[in-house]
Amino acid sequence: MLEVRHLTKIYDDGTVALKDISFSVAEGEFLIVIGLSGSGKSTLLRCINRLIDPTEGEILWNGVDLAQLQGEELRKSRRHIGMIFQHFNLVNRSSVMTNVLSGHLGYISQWQSILGRFPKEDKIKAWEALKRLGIEDQAHKRADELSGGQQQRVGIARALMQEPKMILADEPVASLDPVLAHSILQHLEMLNQEDNMTIICSLHYLDLVQRYATSVIGLREGRIVYQGSKEDILAMTDEEFKDIYGEEAERVGSGLEGNITHEGGEA
Amino acid sequence: MSKNNNISLGHIPEEIRPPSRIPPYLAAILSAIIPGVGQILGHAVRRGIILLGSFLSIMGLVIWRFRLAAPRDVGVFNIIKKGLHLEPILILVTILIIVLYVLIIIDAYNIVKVRDRTPIGAFFMVIIVFFALGWQIGDINLYTFFSQADEAIPALSKIVWPWEKAITQDVDYVRGYALIEIPCSDNPPPPSSATEGEPLLIANPTCGNLTVDEDHPGTLLHLVGKDFIPGIEADIMWKDPIRNEFRQRSEGHYVKVIPDENGDFELDIHIPYRLLPPSADQPTYIWKVFAQQVATVGSKHLSSDFKNIVERMIETIFIGMMATFFGVIFALPVSFFAARNLMSASPITLVLYYLVRAVLNIIRSIEPLIWAIIAVIVVGLGPFAGILALTLHSIAALGKLYSESIESISTGPIEAIQATGATWVQTVMFAVIPQIVPPFVSFTIYRWDVNIRMSTIIGFVGGGGIGFLLAQYIRLLDYKSAGMAVWFIAITVAILDYVSAEIRAKFV
Repeated sequence: MLEVRHLTKIYDDGTVALKDISFSVAEGEFLIVIGLSGSGKSTLLRCINRLIDPTEGEILWNGVDLAQLQGEELRKSRRHIGMIFQHFNLVNRSSVMTNVLSGHLGYISQWQSILGRFPKEDKIKAWEALKRLGIEDQAHKRADELSGGQQQRVGIARALMQEPKMILADEPVASLDPVLAHSILQHLEMLNQEDNMTIICSLHYLDLVQRYATSVIGLREGRIVYQGSKEDILAMTDEEFKDIYGEEAERVGSGLEGNITHEGGEA
Repeated sequence: MSKNNNISLGHIPEEIRPPSRIPPYLAAILSAIIPGVGQILGHAVRRGIILLGSFLSIMGLVIWRFRLAAPRDVGVFNIIKKGLHLEPILILVTILIIVLYVLIIIDAYNIVKVRDRTPIGAFFMVIIVFFALGWQIGDINLYTFFSQADEAIPALSKIVWPWEKAITQDVDYVRGYALIEIPCSDNPPPPSSATEGEPLLIANPTCGNLTVDEDHPGTLLHLVGKDFIPGIEADIMWKDPIRNEFRQRSEGHYVKVIPDENGDFELDIHIPYRLLPPSADQPTYIWKVFAQQVATVGSKHLSSDFKNIVERMIETIFIGMMATFFGVIFALPVSFFAARNLMSASPITLVLYYLVRAVLNIIRSIEPLIWAIIAVIVVGLGPFAGILALTLHSIAALGKLYSESIESISTGPIEAIQATGATWVQTVMFAVIPQIVPPFVSFTIYRWDVNIRMSTIIGFVGGGGIGFLLAQYIRLLDYKSAGMAVWFIAITVAILDYVSAEIRAKFV
């Protein structure tokens, strides 16, 4: 159970990115955050794992206020929150395996990791994560030799290495084509359903929101302007969507839904 | 921003271009008075300024060249006359300038009338005039070049194939001598006696008089040589009482004899002409006459020049290596201060950033050759001066390259590793180091390559290494040794080029 209360973030230059945000996410939910670029989606996600320090408010996760954590405690909490990014954020020059293993850094001692050595069980785990995502044959390639869809799957595998209870996904499909978008979101859905991980994901496309979300919040200029369940979002018309979202909202890949195969048409 | 403005101005459609303020004929007249002014007033401002600027600079250059050709003449007419006479290219330049002047007038008329900016005749002419001027200023003389090209052949052929000088063989002098008393006294020296293992030269008589002039030759000596090396030329030489050695001449030639298969020879010579300084004044003197053979002994071995070159080449490689070493050590910390993304946090660090950048740029813009001259003043001739000069330049060059690669690291991976719950040290190890190590290694190896190439030149100003030797050989006109040095430099640089390219390819 994640409960965000009165969260506000004002950047040093005075930009108000989030204003008095309150919502809660039950364990095992697939929460999708929608909103224009600049509406505060990324700031919200980064406040939850404290890549950005919130200005005010509480972020209660299983009774602990993440907003108050410092140092070692923060680090330990972060271990249980995986994060995937729009631009994948892999270390391009390192191998896929090293990238995945680095997801486990929070669990191994600093001195061991300086030598670049990981325990054998970690390697087996990394291998299994890659296998689960269907890219185990890419393990020894350099990360930048992979296609976009494959890189995002490496990103998911890295998050999996954290043994997370929650995954934050910051526009995970915005850099991918619609076919791959479904493929990546299906992987997240699998983690959500099979491993009961809570997913908080920001997205742009109404089709994808309708297809994957179990609940939705809409942000506009740092405020929550919409909150709804799966039923609410399914009943939503394009016009309503545009009302919350602005003119930039788009419907994509409607013909693809339902008949997409797991691997998509990825090259 | 301003750049964008420029680009968009260039795309203004024809119809919205501002109309000219003056009629075409006036533009032509104005450009006839001051070239380019017609275009400027006719709303082709940039075009006019370029043409005016070009024309003025061409006139300035031409006046300078005429004055230089006729420095002592008075009066414009006299200077022009003399200049054209001494430097025929100036005739061509003058004609071209007149053509340019006319073209600028026509251009002014056209630009105002047709409002079409495409004709480039005037600009083309500007380039041609500059080319002709460049020919004259550069003192280019193709005739000299082609007619005297063959003068380079003797030196060049030695440089291209210098390797005979790499091998040498020691020589030994084989001598047999006889004592001659001048003039004769009551008891002249006895004839030479045989010594075991050495050749024997017997003179008869063993005393006599020196030559005075052509009509009064010296005493005729009959020389008999024994046990010389058969078949090798022997020079007949003298040693006077003050121990000067000189060769026996006969009818303008040095006297030589080749011993027969037993090593024996016989010949007659006149005692030569020789003045002795008054300080050596004595009643009689003992002179030595001797026959000398030059024999090679021992096996062939590498010459000392060759060894010198190899030693200096090794020194050169180490100069480059040490300079790279020190360069890296100092450039690493400096590069962090010169990286904008690390230093833009506060105004103080930003000032430091600009300061470090400025210093690096200044150091880098001064050639290592000049740094070497300064270093030689401080630490004297030798490899240390070269190392200092190259180190300084390396710090500046590497500092810039390193800092640029620090600036180009992406923050995404850092964020991602932080989000996994990794410590600060782990984040640096897994997100920062992998991003900067490959470019650092690549730049370092490139710099090593550059430093070794430069250290061959640094020697010319006393910075040690093979350049020092090469400069010496060139001054001594010893083109074969210079050639060997050039060969070594070429081989080393080629190997280095290849190796550094291979290593860098592996890392990036």
